Amino acid sequence: MSKMILEDVTKRWGKFYAVDHLNLEIADNSFITLLGPSGCGKTTILRMIAGLETPTSGRISIGDRVVFDSEAGINIPANKRKVGFLFQNYALWPNMTVYKNISFGLKNVKEEMPIYDIDAKILNDKIKALQKSQDIVAIAKESYNKDGKLDEERVLMKYIEKFDISMTTAKSILEHKLHEKDNSKVESEKLVRDLQLELKKCREDHEKRSEKLGENFEIIIDGVIKKEVRKLTKEEIDIKVRRVSAIVKIGMFMDRYPSELSGGQQQRVAIARTLAPNPEVLFMDEPLSNLDAKLRLEMRYELQRLHVETGSTFVYVTHDQMEAMTLATKICLIDNGVLQQYDAPLVVYKNPANLFTADFVGNPSINFINAKGTQNEDKSFSLTILKDKEVVFTPEKTFDLNKWKKDYQTRFNENEEKEIAKQKKKSVEKGNKDEKFNYHIARVDETIQEKQEEIEECDYVIGLRPEFIKISKEGEMQAVVYGSMPTGMETTLKMKVDEYLLTCVLFGKEVYGIGEKVRFSFGGDLIQLFDRVSGELLTTGKIEIKEKA
Amino acid sequence: MDHTGFKMNTRRNRILNKLKTFLSKPYNVILLIFGIILTFSTFMPIIAIARDTFKIHLGTIDAYLTNKTFGYTIVNYTDLFTSKLAKINLWTPLLNTVYMAILTCVISILFGGAFAFFVTRTNLKFKKYLSSVFIFTYIMPQWTLAVVWQNVFDSNMVTGTSDGLLTTLTGFSAPAWWCMGFFPSAAVLGLHYAPFAYILIGGIFRNMDANLEEAALILDTPRWKTMFNVTLPMVKPAILSTILLVFGSAMGSYPVPHYFKFTTLATKYISLNSKYTGEANILALIMMAFGVIILLMNQQSLKSRKSYTTVTGKSGQSSLFDLGKVGKYSISIFLIIITFFVCIFPILSFALETFLPNPGDYSFLYSGGFSNLTTKWWIAHGDNIPKGMFGQEGILYNQTIWRAFKGTLLVAISCSFFSGTIGTLIGYSVSKRRRSKWANYVNAVAFLPYLLPSLAVGAALFVLFSNETINLFNTYTLLIIAGTIKYIPFASRSSLNSMLQLSGEIEEAAIIQDIPWIKRMFGIIIPIQKSSIISGFALPFMTSLRELSLFLLLCTQGFILSTSLDYFDEMGLYAFSSAINLILILTILFFNTVVNRITGASLDKGIGGN
Repeated sequence: MSKMILEDVTKRWGKFYAVDHLNLEIADNSFITLLGPSGCGKTTILRMIAGLETPTSGRISIGDRVVFDSEAGINIPANKRKVGFLFQNYALWPNMTVYKNISFGLKNVKEEMPIYDIDAKILNDKIKALQKSQDIVAIAKESYNKDGKLDEERVLMKYIEKFDISMTTAKSILEHKLHEKDNSKVESEKLVRDLQLELKKCREDHEKRSEKLGENFEIIIDGVIKKEVRKLTKEEIDIKVRRVSAIVKIGMFMDRYPSELSGGQQQRVAIARTLAPNPEVLFMDEPLSNLDAKLRLEMRYELQRLHVETGSTFVYVTHDQMEAMTLATKICLIDNGVLQQYDAPLVVYKNPANLFTADFVGNPSINFINAKGTQNEDKSFSLTILKDKEVVFTPEKTFDLNKWKKDYQTRFNENEEKEIAKQKKKSVEKGNKDEKFNYHIARVDETIQEKQEEIEECDYVIGLRPEFIKISKEGEMQAVVYGSMPTGMETTLKMKVDEYLLTCVLFGKEVYGIGEKVRFSFGGDLIQLFDRVSGELLTTGKIEIKEKA
Repeated sequence: MDHTGFKMNTRRNRILNKLKTFLSKPYNVILLIFGIILTFSTFMPIIAIARDTFKIHLGTIDAYLTNKTFGYTIVNYTDLFTSKLAKINLWTPLLNTVYMAILTCVISILFGGAFAFFVTRTNLKFKKYLSSVFIFTYIMPQWTLAVVWQNVFDSNMVTGTSDGLLTTLTGFSAPAWWCMGFFPSAAVLGLHYAPFAYILIGGIFRNMDANLEEAALILDTPRWKTMFNVTLPMVKPAILSTILLVFGSAMGSYPVPHYFKFTTLATKYISLNSKYTGEANILALIMMAFGVIILLMNQQSLKSRKSYTTVTGKSGQSSLFDLGKVGKYSISIFLIIITFFVCIFPILSFALETFLPNPGDYSFLYSGGFSNLTTKWWIAHGDNIPKGMFGQEGILYNQTIWRAFKGTLLVAISCSFFSGTIGTLIGYSVSKRRRSKWANYVNAVAFLPYLLPSLAVGAALFVLFSNETINLFNTYTLLIIAGTIKYIPFASRSSLNSMLQLSGEIEEAAIIQDIPWIKRMFGIIIPIQKSSIISGFALPFMTSLRELSLFLLLCTQGFILSTSLDYFDEMGLYAFSSAINLILILTILFFNTVVNRITGASLDKGIGGN
């Protein structure tokens, strides 16, 4: 229903391209994270889809509705796009209580909705609650404070959470004071009987008017649910507010002002306010960046749960790759306004499209090693790495370098043509030019500049995830431990091989001292091989070391 | 979707759609409408007055020199700039005006700035009292201080009037330069506008991030060095805005130089107006030119000026300069004495004057008898009116005064409502479209009237609205139009400043939920920024209550309170003019207190941000 499509969307301020010809398709019910370094344009993308920012050109559609089209001059304002937006700084209204913050938007909803018989619903809610008289009594008995007085506020909150009822219903239940009666069970049964009678009468009244009450007490005439364009009633608003506050656990803070809440609580209020109108699409702009580490982890789980519970499409902006990896069904990686890769998190991890995405995803970061060599007859590569080590790289699947080069050339030419065509149309030149990603090779002495060597076709870059380095006595290569960070579950080691540094992650309790000599080999068949000229991934495979060092 | 289907209508559709999108944003509509209205309301009077300088006015000098009764001529210019009278009519008043405006700026910045420093950055005592009393000078009509100055310093020996308080008590007479002309005019105006400096500079002192100074402290920088290298540069923008606000206002002030018999462009304008109408209008144009030049200079300096947006006020209370036990009290007492004379004394003095049997007759002070005081100025009516009152009924029964009072209230309330509403909307819209050139234009056009001297604006509106085709002279409509145009800047400035502090997300969060614009304004934006917005309404109210220069040419004597003063002065009924001053001051203080109590917004913290 709420699939979103962005076609050729561009946003620029003068010569600065914040978003450069972006094409993106966001599937219904997915959880997408927009990931990239700060200033790469991810927030701008989010705000453009939500309608808070106007793209310079392009076309955006949400569901089957075009919400923006520069060609046709369509620009549906944010308030008509029916989306939710969670702001980085929460943007709670400081002049309103939590309850008002959440309900303010609901008071405004005016659309076609079924008509409910609220009285009947309240009766039913009450019956359901009173049937669990032992819970009613137990909750009240827990809620006496030190002076032996009943904390009514607390009781009402608990009733609301427990029985999913509104404030008025909760109050009317408390009025019966079941907890003060000796025979609460009998009393409640009597009440239930009375209420059931009342409800029955109510139903009969409807039948007299040849109406029926549906399952949720909507009025049905001739088998059709009666609908009307109307506003939400106070009771409905209350139930909605209570329901979302229960989801994010802020039921106790309803009468407080935002300034009287902690950061985490404010965050929850912001989420509740966004969820209250049931948006089909929910945009979130770094919602967790203002929270402390522990709370952030907790909220991450909550968001995951919310995604499942609400069934909405989530689009989430973050610069934290951990957040992106753990939450998303698909990650959209952006750099300098250009889409780099759009894939499931583990695909990005295993098969990064280029050096940028390989570097950005994964913690600790990937190791890059420069390599020089050629492809052999048997499709394997003979490479020289780390100054003078001869290795053989065997692709996981058959990989033909020449074919790849031909494809690359075609793509390159197509892009050039597009560029020329654009310049003919007098489009503005991109001020923030795309530069090749400057990958980082860790060295002992970072001040030594690599000689500005000419990059040739036979130059490659090997991408080695830290877990692909296996430490063992039988390892073919030798290294000296340069730094060691045990966390209990795993240890991150920095190893010195000649002048280069490699990071690896080991599981287990073994402790390494700095300066200790270790042997290692390259394990796994998912080692990545990149073309150094374009920075693009060629293939993945395994590395064998020819001779023992 | 198939694009080719509606190719025929694409162009038209596109334009229509774009128009629809544009107009669906309330701030676009506001900017469009008020941009057009304000362009007219600001430039039409200027054009009208410029045109008038070329016109031949029957029965004035241009008609005499050209021997024509109608048509156009440049004789007004040649006569004003080159005739024998050029020095008296133009150059001397012009120089006088500039000197006076400059000295006014210096005095108000030094006095207001020093006061701001003491109140916000030191451990001074009685801060709250001082802070609320200090703005009285701005709340009160300009001329009240001038009158008080005369009541205190005049002497029979020097000024030829009855002895003032100083001479009565000490026998010492102040020198002439202290009593008449240049110095007292600038000093009184300087004191009158000092609250501007206090509010603007104090606002920065108050919001300044204490970390900036603490960082210097950690580096073991001496306090005075921190003061000159860190603190004062921060205040520079506030000083510039004070100059911007004070210079133009001081230039156009009529009553103060009038009282001190000092010739400025404003007083010259009044004296030339009847016989040299065209030439007088040239003087008004010259005053306006100064306003425009100041505006352009300000735009220029805004571009090049370092912007101190790092002033966040994130850290808590800054450390206060310790004045020492003696300093703490002696400086407060000194300031209390000064503010007493400048702020409280005028009120007492006016009250006293209304009980004196003859103006300046302080004989009860040494005779000690209260029998030397009289209540006749207040309560005489019917057949008991004494001879000296020229048939005027006592103040409490005087129809002229109370009709004028009602008129003043009507004008003040309407001006406050219109300029407050329009200014707030403009401030809001400009803050929403900061990048747009049109928004900046609307902002500048809305602000320009503030820099045009009041008297010149009045003169221009007189020319525009009091002629053969439209005659609004001496109507409330005209006064309200004048006041609204002139005071929109108060509201647009304070609203723009406060809206810029409000994160855009606050409103976006409501837009996303499809909350209509009206509800967003009344439910969210106005409640959050209420104190700035209220001061955008309160300032026009108070200013128009006591405005004289602007309304002087637009209505007859006795139409509103401020123009009634001259009427009674001319009759020699000084007790009446004192009573009018008193009524004005008490009304303003009353409303100030009411607004303060109801909304919690106070003027001394209102303008210039929070």
